[in-house]
Amino acid sequence: MTPGTASSAGFPSAGFFDELVRDVVRRPEEYERLGFADCRLVIEVVEPAGEVRRFGLVLDGYDIRSEGEIADLDGFHPEVVVSGALDTWSEMLAAIAEHGFADRSHTLNALSIAGFPLSTRSDDPIGRDKFYRYAETLQTLFDSVGLRAPAEA
Amino acid sequence: MANLAADLDYRERASRGELDLGWLRRSRAEWGIRAEPSRIGLTLRDIAVGTYGEVPDHPPRRTMAPRGADIPDEVPDMGYTINDKSEVWSDNVMELYEEAVSRQWSATRDIPWGDLAPIDPDLEHAMCQLATVLSEVEMVAADFPAKWLWRINHDFVEAKMFLCTQAMDEARHTEVFRKRALANGGGLGRATAVVEEFLKVILDAQSYDEGSALMHLLGEGIVLSLFRAGEMIAPSDVEKRIFRLCMQDEARHVSYGTMHLRYRLQRDPSLAEDFHAYLDRGEALMAVLFTTPEVVEPATILAAGSLEAAAALGSAASDVLRIQTVEEYLQRCDRAGLDRRGRMHLPDALIEGTSGVAPGGVEAGTSSPGTTVAAVSGGVA
Repeated sequence: MTPGTASSAGFPSAGFFDELVRDVVRRPEEYERLGFADCRLVIEVVEPAGEVRRFGLVLDGYDIRSEGEIADLDGFHPEVVVSGALDTWSEMLAAIAEHGFADRSHTLNALSIAGFPLSTRSDDPIGRDKFYRYAETLQTLFDSVGLRAPAEA
Repeated sequence: MANLAADLDYRERASRGELDLGWLRRSRAEWGIRAEPSRIGLTLRDIAVGTYGEVPDHPPRRTMAPRGADIPDEVPDMGYTINDKSEVWSDNVMELYEEAVSRQWSATRDIPWGDLAPIDPDLEHAMCQLATVLSEVEMVAADFPAKWLWRINHDFVEAKMFLCTQAMDEARHTEVFRKRALANGGGLGRATAVVEEFLKVILDAQSYDEGSALMHLLGEGIVLSLFRAGEMIAPSDVEKRIFRLCMQDEARHVSYGTMHLRYRLQRDPSLAEDFHAYLDRGEALMAVLFTTPEVVEPATILAAGSLEAAAALGSAASDVLRIQTVEEYLQRCDRAGLDRRGRMHLPDALIEGTSGVAPGGVEAGTSSPGTTVAAVSGGVA
């Protein structure tokens, strides 16, 4: 599968993240089993031309909300920002769509551990550590792309 | 000691329906409290209402009575030695307790053990050695809180409850890595003196301050980085899930350690030098860990994918892990209010590439490349 095509249809867009968090409604037992979380997270996508787009996610108890595209990063008060090039995000989503879940080298943690190709930043290491504290919840959320029917994905 | 003889007169009166009701009529505890549950249920934060939510800095009594209950004078003194809130408290401890309870998992049920498949024997050896090290180190983070729990004043019960969740987390980590070592045709690997020395330093800490700095902040920070690395280099999705679940727990413990130290130093900045001294000793051991084959090589082999590729990779993979571990540790120290930059006790070769180097290239901490377990343990009383 070509990165950036079928698996990442609509990515990056508010619609993509709206659909992503609908997985929590579709499979509430899956997320409740993982336990509750509390984090304001921004997914940052750097387009090839250098444009930066940011999308807000709020992990709130057993819910996850999409806050759409964020124009005012500071106003959103993110606890952690996960940033990467569009190609990286697209490749990750393509891998998830292909395998049904993130394979060995395409988990959020694997892609960010060395600070490249994804990186995390935070004003507060406690916020950054939340990216680790809720790793399974976040991975389950992104892995849900692999559960979508091909036309949906 | 209170008179604990059975009150047979009372029994006689009660049998005639003459109830005492002193516990009801002479109650001084706050009445009329109705804690409201939040969306996720009734949390510790939700019940921290009225005087029940006031955690005293210096509790007047040393009993196991629930904070806010009426305590008769004759209730015995439990002899707690940690009676200063700042010795154990952190501002996020209630939330961390709730999170810990909510995010428990089972090493028996939640790991897809049936999906384990035979892998290259070198990789299996590496995975088993890594599992051995982790199974070895994790239990100390249960032993340490257990050693101190009974000494902590019961008015700080939320902190005690959090430490109980940590003990359970670490038992599960010990379990899951032991299971992994035995589940795929390998077995346990080799223990090392340096790892045991580090565990001993934590366990032998003369104060909760010392042990918590060494364990919650330094030791668990290193292990958190190892878990992150493990998730990346896991030979299969089974180990990947193990490492990811362990990572979540460990990050919780590190968050407590960071915010606890911050709470402690905000209330008594004069303790900063004591904490620097604890971490000086811990970092010296950290330096030895970074150069111990049993600790470093399994991760390198798993990252490379084979023994041959690991030789070609050299220290590149472990350098990534080292730099990430040191940077995150320094950031947490900063957050806690303890600037370790420029005074880390790591040899220059191990501090290279991090912001721990002193400004202007001044020698950073212990620069001797020959740090040994004996030298380090000799420095620990």
